[in-house]
Amino acid sequence: MVLLVGLLGACSQSSDTGVKTSVNYDADYAPEDGGTLIDATRGEPSGLIPMIAGESAASEVAQHIFSSLLRFDKNLEFEGQLAESWQVSPDQKIITFKLKPNLKWADGKPLTSADVLFTWKLVTDDKTRTPYGSDYKLVIKAETPDARTFRVSYAEPYAPAINSWAGLDILPKHLLEGKDINTTAFARNPVGSHYYKLEKWRPGEQITLTRNPLSSQGQAHIERLTSRFIPDEAAQFLELMANNIDAMTLSPVQYARIFPARPELQKKFALYKELGNSYTYLGFNLKRKPFDDIRVRQAINYAINKQEIIDGVLLGLGEPVASPYKPGTRWANPNLKPYAYDPAKARALLQEAGYQDRGDGILARNGKPLSFTLLTSQNKQREMSAVLIQRRLKEVGIEIHIRVLEWATFIGRFIKTSDFDMVVLGWSLALDPDQYSIWHSSQQAPGQFNFIGYNNPRVDRLLERGRMELNADKRTVIYHELAEILLEESPIVYLSAGYGLQAIHKRVKGIPDPAPPAGLGNNTHEWYIPQPLRRTEITP
Amino acid sequence: MRRALANPLALSGFIIIVGIFLLAVLAPYLAPYDPNAIDVKAILLSPSSTHLMGTDALGRDVFSRMLFGAQISLLVGLVAVGIATSIGIILGAIAGYYRGWVDVVIMRMVDVMLSIPTFFLILAVIAFLSSSVVNIMVVIGLTSWMGVTRLVRAEFLSLRNREFVMASEALGASDKRLIFMHLLPNSMTPIIVSSVLGVASAVLIESGLSFLGLGVQAPQASWGNILTDGKEYIQFAWWLSLFPGLAILITVLGYNLFGEGLRDVYDPRTSAKK
Repeated sequence: MVLLVGLLGACSQSSDTGVKTSVNYDADYAPEDGGTLIDATRGEPSGLIPMIAGESAASEVAQHIFSSLLRFDKNLEFEGQLAESWQVSPDQKIITFKLKPNLKWADGKPLTSADVLFTWKLVTDDKTRTPYGSDYKLVIKAETPDARTFRVSYAEPYAPAINSWAGLDILPKHLLEGKDINTTAFARNPVGSHYYKLEKWRPGEQITLTRNPLSSQGQAHIERLTSRFIPDEAAQFLELMANNIDAMTLSPVQYARIFPARPELQKKFALYKELGNSYTYLGFNLKRKPFDDIRVRQAINYAINKQEIIDGVLLGLGEPVASPYKPGTRWANPNLKPYAYDPAKARALLQEAGYQDRGDGILARNGKPLSFTLLTSQNKQREMSAVLIQRRLKEVGIEIHIRVLEWATFIGRFIKTSDFDMVVLGWSLALDPDQYSIWHSSQQAPGQFNFIGYNNPRVDRLLERGRMELNADKRTVIYHELAEILLEESPIVYLSAGYGLQAIHKRVKGIPDPAPPAGLGNNTHEWYIPQPLRRTEITP
Repeated sequence: MRRALANPLALSGFIIIVGIFLLAVLAPYLAPYDPNAIDVKAILLSPSSTHLMGTDALGRDVFSRMLFGAQISLLVGLVAVGIATSIGIILGAIAGYYRGWVDVVIMRMVDVMLSIPTFFLILAVIAFLSSSVVNIMVVIGLTSWMGVTRLVRAEFLSLRNREFVMASEALGASDKRLIFMHLLPNSMTPIIVSSVLGVASAVLIESGLSFLGLGVQAPQASWGNILTDGKEYIQFAWWLSLFPGLAILITVLGYNLFGEGLRDVYDPRTSAKK
């Protein structure tokens, strides 16, 4: 996740002329405090309480304002954030957190275990409209023996428990007690305990954060972070070139074609590439014929050329995927390979399943042709993938009609109701390998994540064991087996995992390259902007 | 017709229309490549002798896609206007000939339809149906008949009281004979003019729908969806925006010039003003 922040729109326009252009952005500078980092985001947050907003636009800003008990360090190991230490009982059912001493909210009030307990009660309260309550509802008892100690008990060992406490932003009891969390004005005027606090939110325009002198984590180098709301990718790029923003997410074409062709851009911007924890797939509706037939699914898997999608759609900026985990992590089974592109084998499988050419190049069985509608959202990369899939399937006798839908309609009308033949979609994954909600047969109600209707008792058992198992090596074995079954059964066809592509102005120093496993945004408090490289700014 | 082509406006419009028509009809012979042939090794190439208008983000030849896109534009334009004109003539004739409550009902229907912004009405309808070329033609046709209806009704009302019509009626001509032998033939000129102009707006609506992703669906090419594909690469792959944009501009201009030219020649009211 990236960060950002902003600037004073009009004042910055002249910054890149004259003397400034002769600045050598590649020189080394010692870390120093101050400066403003401006970044662009496609959506404006609906509010800044992450558990209520539930959207990336909100969490990208709120991550600088609120702290959790734990966080991931750059190598994705847990470390304390508000917690100084934590202990898991020998039976794995009780976790005790010890808070750091003298924690304060940005308004100067003390931050204690009562705030943590209050936040837990909020997130598990049925009146709180949050999608994240289920992890915390497994806690059967939460208590605060003293102001610095918070203890939770589970009925059974729960493997994702520690992970869940790294994801819960602690909220201030003294400001929220007795208020309706769903509608409180606090969402637009938050008080947290992290490196930054809200300075100004100009609706429809930008959010500016400034350093929090009472931060629980020490002090960040950069004085201000501004996020400008610019929905259009092309418009963001224009602003980047005009030096009005310092950072943005690039498309493969911007990264691989435009940047290499523009030396003046390369002088000013550094490019970063990191594999995200997500992948794109082709999903089948397993409750509809003929997708209940494993031979049809495997045939489609063989008929699709995944490398062509990586080369054509991602311009090579992606990795093949053979398990539902980020390639290269311990959870991804290294022995699995994607189905090779093999149209002959696809045709043989379809023939075995009883499909014959009915004369027009489309295969059919009992008069029913292999003709389907493929749905996807208005996302250029997914649309292009769909066109490539359409062509390859036609070659083996399967006819595809593509329908591109606006996101809210796609999800609300078709995905949540499982009303589709095939979809091109993506999963963005948590760091914990538990994928109970995606593959378990109990998760098929409208709105739940197993909308493809996957139902395999063996997989169900693996998922149930996986979330109860706390030994990482044993969990690895479980999830490797899960991936093996999924690849064999092919309930979805993995297409690719694309790289996250970032451009960040070279005036920003202290960014690790290559990105650590936890991602570029893991150490933003260590980033700095040396005085000679800053924009000319008029401060109010 | 000869008179019309003596008008320089109408003539230039006519030449443009015929030219585009020929390109569309001959597309299968003129296109150097299969318009849907993907080549991931030739992505976003700029115009050259091998790819006259460059290639798109999937390595497809833009020139070939433009030619086949012309077929879609013309087909949608002609069929949609055919539907709209047929409906307009029927309803307008009924309203103008029979008058009375039939007229009132039909004209209020027209008012209701006109009070809804057409493009948004089309957007709403397309959102419920799936977007195929057939649906687009039908929906545009079903939402743009109001102008023709009013025109035909007005012509009928004025012709109804002309001596030759009354004479024919006095001689015992049937309703059918009056409508089809006398009133309709004498109303054709304004209908033709408005149809030609209607094609221009149908072409624009189809391009607009495709641009918004609600029109012609992939992989079929249409000028609107080539344009929308090009939007993301506009600073870099100008050819993806320029050529379809120009094609839409020239086509719409052609129909408008031809339509306006026809009107200047045949419509005594506008000619008189000059």
